[in-house]
Amino acid sequence: MNGGRKPSGGGRGRSATGAAGATGKDGQQRRPMFRRRKVCKFCADKIDDINYKDTKLLMPFVPERAKILPRRISGTCAMHQRKLRTAIMRARQLALIPYTAE
Amino acid sequence: MNRKYELVFVVSPDATEAQVTELQTQVEGIVQRMGGTIEKTENWGRRKLAYEIGRHKEATYVLDVINGSGELMKEIDRRLKVFDLVIRHLVVRVDENEGVIDRQRTKRTDTARRRRTARGLPPDRQPGEGQRGEPDDDRDDRFDMGLEDVR
Repeated sequence: MNGGRKPSGGGRGRSATGAAGATGKDGQQRRPMFRRRKVCKFCADKIDDINYKDTKLLMPFVPERAKILPRRISGTCAMHQRKLRTAIMRARQLALIPYTAE
Repeated sequence: MNRKYELVFVVSPDATEAQVTELQTQVEGIVQRMGGTIEKTENWGRRKLAYEIGRHKEATYVLDVINGSGELMKEIDRRLKVFDLVIRHLVVRVDENEGVIDRQRTKRTDTARRRRTARGLPPDRQPGEGQRGEPDDDRDDRFDMGLEDVR
């Protein structure tokens, strides 16, 4: 399926032990890559209320370019990502969070 | 039809404090006239804006929590659009969301308590009973962010 194109960790595998391919494309020996399993911050910290007024909570999810951090990177679960999105969009309207970086 | 709304309005930095309170009393006036109540008002004071609005770089924020009907909020919305001093405003209905959050919270504590009693522990967490740190948390994964999608 993978066709051997990707050196390691292709797809969306969330395995905690990392990818099996220890040899890179360039033939270099690599230690097997470990990836920490990503956990939704809001589930883990039991934050029920994602509020648009709480900029401290939202800011980590809008990195420099001020785009919303995608789920595949932050590991946020679908439900919380949705809530996060509305909260960020509301905060943006009130100029609490930027739309873009200048 | 009683609903709970949050209103935040952003007042231009040129406005004096008196003008801000004047705006606030205007809002209160509308709320009272249309049969609503104000639950809470909060003045966040002057804050830096995340981006420039017009030529302004900072502004005063005021938050109101209002109980009332949809027509009331419509009226407030309309009025706030007219004032030049108000550079931004936002009305959000909050009662439904608060209910959901409340239910989630009670559900969580309930299940936690049930599990604890099933394990023969007192239902609430005791002082000094901390969470153990995750054993494999110190793995070096600083450079792994998003790597799985690089192609």
